Amino acid sequence: MKLQTPVHSILLLIFLLSLSAPCRSEDEFSFDIQEVRKKNFEWGGYGELKWVHMDANQDSAFKVFIPEGDRRASLDRLSGTLQLDGNYSYAKANFHWLMQAAGQQDNIGWTDTADIFEAYGSIKPSPHGIAALGKKSYKWGKGYAWNPVGFINRLKDPDDPDEAREGYITAEVDLIKSFNGSLQNIALTTVLLPVWDDINDDFGRVNNLNLAAKLYFLILDTDIDLLLLTGNSRADGFGLDFAKNLATNFEIHGELAWQPNRKKYRLHEAGTLTAIEEDTLSTLIGIRYLSENDITSIIEYYHNGGGYSEEEMSEFYRIVHAAGTMHEQTADQSLLEQAREMSLKGYGSPHPGRNYLYARFTQKEPFDILYLTPALTTLVNLDDNSYSLTPEILYTGFTNWEVRLRFYYLGGGSFTEYGEKINSNKLELRLRYFF
Amino acid sequence: MNKTIPYYLKGMFFLFFLGHAAASLAMDGNQLLRQVDAHMQPASYEMYRKLINIEPDGAKKEFVLYTVKKGEDKMVALFLSPASEKGRATLRLGDNMWLYIPNVGKPIRITSLQSVVGGVFNNSDILRLDYSVEYNVIKVEDQGSTYLLELKAKSNAVAYDGLMMTVDKKTILPTSIQCYAVSGMLIKTLHYSKNKDFGNGLVRPSMLETDSPLYKGYRSVMLFAEVKEKEFADEVFTLNYLHKIDELR
Repeated sequence: MKLQTPVHSILLLIFLLSLSAPCRSEDEFSFDIQEVRKKNFEWGGYGELKWVHMDANQDSAFKVFIPEGDRRASLDRLSGTLQLDGNYSYAKANFHWLMQAAGQQDNIGWTDTADIFEAYGSIKPSPHGIAALGKKSYKWGKGYAWNPVGFINRLKDPDDPDEAREGYITAEVDLIKSFNGSLQNIALTTVLLPVWDDINDDFGRVNNLNLAAKLYFLILDTDIDLLLLTGNSRADGFGLDFAKNLATNFEIHGELAWQPNRKKYRLHEAGTLTAIEEDTLSTLIGIRYLSENDITSIIEYYHNGGGYSEEEMSEFYRIVHAAGTMHEQTADQSLLEQAREMSLKGYGSPHPGRNYLYARFTQKEPFDILYLTPALTTLVNLDDNSYSLTPEILYTGFTNWEVRLRFYYLGGGSFTEYGEKINSNKLELRLRYFF
Repeated sequence: MNKTIPYYLKGMFFLFFLGHAAASLAMDGNQLLRQVDAHMQPASYEMYRKLINIEPDGAKKEFVLYTVKKGEDKMVALFLSPASEKGRATLRLGDNMWLYIPNVGKPIRITSLQSVVGGVFNNSDILRLDYSVEYNVIKVEDQGSTYLLELKAKSNAVAYDGLMMTVDKKTILPTSIQCYAVSGMLIKTLHYSKNKDFGNGLVRPSMLETDSPLYKGYRSVMLFAEVKEKEFADEVFTLNYLHKIDELR
């Protein structure tokens, strides 16, 4: 497949938008309710086209992990995604599914994926209880960018925290009770998550049945969750989260997660990678604030109790750089293999550090341009002061179309998280059509 | 014996009667406001609405919502169309509000002043409780065929600090409402029109038009197609139920 240039992509975008120009008719209003009557079978989804241009960070430690023939000063990538979701409901039973298929072509080659994110049946014998069985995605926690209490969540991408994520095969029961008074609601969600060969085997150690639970209270106008994970696939987890509106334009939220004996790989002084178990306490505190000039600010501080210190990360980057030099000069791969193992076992994971700041500012419809939302997002590693800065513009003015233009800039010195990333910047244009 | 009533006693009587008259007026005003609410919708109901944002050049964007409400302060609105918004649900319990987006998969606590759909309407407009739940009447003015009610928010958690509501005397239904911020700035004006019989004795406006000096040239229209009395369990108005709201239809 021949790669499209940015100019071609923009022309294609303009053409597609022109096809969907909004109806400009006389000022008459009608509402036929039959168009929206409930049907037993309903489905929808979106198709997405995304063009990405990335400039490589020539000083990145991680370039040693890329085969020499695949290294590029810059990379252009065109990808397409199709997401389908649907429901079939009959009486008190419901079946829900969510699937995603994606393919991408870049300077290196073609890759594609197809996944069933969710497929579960549920039954609701009364408003007090719901039972579900099948593959379901969990998004526990109140944090926007991170969820330390999300013990059975898939890892979130803070650059796109709102995207759908793949679930786990579980059996779940939800019990709900409402009251009058300062305690308004209680809800208990209990989840059984088996980990066997070929069933949830990426969750943790196999041949275990794990139990996760979330007890929710709405008390004194405050959301409070108590969370638990136990079983032998992962370390046990105990969590607490909360959220509350302090004013009509000000919300506060937080999370606290305690995981005793959590496994972590750490570089030993002798230069070997060893697994240790340690008790970790992770915390998150955040706010959401709407200013008088319609700027929504989401600001979160995250302490990753299981993260690596600045010195540990610096040592890791030093080893990766040394491995690259050794491999180039002597073709010796031993240190490179060690660096690769360190990267895979924790040091190379997303947000491996200890302390982070997330801030996102969105301006609603500036200059009276309806449906236009500019935003600025930043992620800062507070230990090494490296950061990402992401300005973006989102436009949703054409019914069922969404256009987003984003630029990522990564900044930081040598041996810092964002200073060592494989790219120094990224430009992304995304077009989505919902149906 | 001097039978003249001392001047300070006269003053006290005058103030007492003035206060009593003001209290009676406010009480009558609040009673009138409760009548307005009773004429606008049943205590618990389900409703289908279409929200239309109109730009200065006439371009329109439409949203259809299914809404259920119970009692004074429990309410949910579910977006049925367009496809890009389908499945979004907003829940209100008193001053608490949450937004559920299917892709995100969990309810997020939001503030009442934010806008879910863009345009002139904010969350409070979409999940509006009865006026008498959020406001006290502080002044009633008889204007011939209409009353002008001056309303003051009961708490600072209410989106608009003050309302000036014009009520038709014959139908006891609002015809227009001006919404003011704490600063006294006019935020928006609502115009109710096209009274329609929704069945079971409910005759109320089927159209609500909104304009705002903050969005010059932009308008929003809400069309009401069905308002039906219906009872729901309290548990329907909880975060755990939010993704199941469509199953109530």
